[in-house]
Amino acid sequence: MNFFLRQLQVLFATLGDMRRTPMSSFNTIMVVAIALLLPAYLYIGVKTTDQLASNWEGRPQLTLFLINDISPQEAQLIFQEVQLSPSVAHAEIITPEQGLAEFSLLSATSDQLVDFEEQLEFLGENPLPFSIVLMPKLEYISTDAIKELKLLLGSIDGIDSIRLDLEWVERFGAITETIKRFALILSVLLALGLMLIIGNTIKLLIMNRRHEIEVSKLVGGSNRFVRRPFLYYGALFGFFGSIGALLLLWLSSIAIAPAVTRLVLSYGGNPFLYAFSVQDAFALIGLGIALGWLSARWSVAQHIWRIRPR
Amino acid sequence: MIKLSQVSKRYPNGYDALSNISFHVEEGEMLFITGHSGAGKSTLFKLISRIEKPSSGQIWVQGKNINRLRESQLPQLRREIGVVFQDHKLIMEKTVFDNVALPLIVIGMPRDEIRKRVRAALGKVGLEGRDQALPETLSGGEQQRVGIARAVINRPSILLADEPTGNLDDDLSDEIIDIFRDFNRVGVTVLIATHDLRQIDRLGCASLELSKGEISAYHAAPAFELTQEHREQSDFF
Repeated sequence: MNFFLRQLQVLFATLGDMRRTPMSSFNTIMVVAIALLLPAYLYIGVKTTDQLASNWEGRPQLTLFLINDISPQEAQLIFQEVQLSPSVAHAEIITPEQGLAEFSLLSATSDQLVDFEEQLEFLGENPLPFSIVLMPKLEYISTDAIKELKLLLGSIDGIDSIRLDLEWVERFGAITETIKRFALILSVLLALGLMLIIGNTIKLLIMNRRHEIEVSKLVGGSNRFVRRPFLYYGALFGFFGSIGALLLLWLSSIAIAPAVTRLVLSYGGNPFLYAFSVQDAFALIGLGIALGWLSARWSVAQHIWRIRPR
Repeated sequence: MIKLSQVSKRYPNGYDALSNISFHVEEGEMLFITGHSGAGKSTLFKLISRIEKPSSGQIWVQGKNINRLRESQLPQLRREIGVVFQDHKLIMEKTVFDNVALPLIVIGMPRDEIRKRVRAALGKVGLEGRDQALPETLSGGEQQRVGIARAVINRPSILLADEPTGNLDDDLSDEIIDIFRDFNRVGVTVLIATHDLRQIDRLGCASLELSKGEISAYHAAPAFELTQEHREQSDFF
């Protein structure tokens, strides 16, 4: 018989068996759904953090101070060169006049700066150079990448000095890295837990159907024939569990979204919660099926061969 | 067809079920194995279908030394031997149809062909129209017939029946044994373990008596002629 037709028959037979024990099947599926839901939450958390970080105006800035006696044309050429750098997300040139205006605005609110403004008046000319403020792309905000960028920009003729708040960059990098690692470890542990849950359920199913397995072997059923329905059980638990996880994710995001929006707005941020894409949903379903199948295979390998006809 | 040479079986608990048994069964023969409980009849069948391995000695089935079969080759051997168990070994959660169809499902036979064969097999054992019943709703005799239908559905060349009439009255026992006789008449080699010596006298078949794991007697069968009626019965096979 056609291989695929036989697989389909086993698939439908397994679905029928699951339907005959609705409560126990539902319970297992819900446990799988919850176990898959937690890594999905972590994934959303990491993605949201990444997205918020990329939109955040507090992203590290580099200020390039050009040499003092540079002409506006030369300053424009340097600015263009900086803009062309692949690691620069956004750059802005600030003329000495703009710098002074901004400085005057700031001095109006700071006592320390008032003294400095008096000294400027004493000099009689604007001592501020052209400067370029730039924001690196998100993927270049790690400590090493920023240092490399600083070195690269420092080699451009006409740049006198570069100011960088590296401590902030390091702190930001450490926080995001910690979150990601924590999420990864927790996801792996949850996946292992999920495999144990499905594996144990399959073991119980095997034990419940011990007599049927013995009889099947007595009439010529191979180990492959005997194990097939259990592999389908595992894959179906994973499939329906991941569908359940997506459903719970959708319901919980409806409940959580307004609270997240209020929280982010209270910090003056751009309200954003990463939403599962179609690809993410398919990846979760694929992961569920793969974990279910693997757990079933592991459980079957442990128990089926021990059952011998008597 | 079946040959045993100096076969012994000792179970892990030290019990010697069979000691140094040697005999052979020709193709198309019908042989009764008799003896008291614990004589080794069931163990003998378990060895022939490789449910158990002998502690010593060799067993050949259809020219193959089954001691040397690998685990992966056992399903093929069991597909060639139909076994009727004393306790029927039916799957109680499945219908009569599913129980009888099992040997065909394991070899991946198409559904239509399975349906045709199951109907024919149930008709042969007198269980027409009971295919959707659950085994627990059947009487002991009917369950035994389901076991027989399952054993023959795959058209095996060897049929082993372990106490097939164990708990049945004489009339029902005769009916069941006659079914085996019909299969034997169309060329199936049949071995029946029984306490019921009346059946041996009635059918005039060869018999082998076991006592405490050893052969204590052998009675040959009178010559048997295949008639036109028997050839017609072979249509089932």
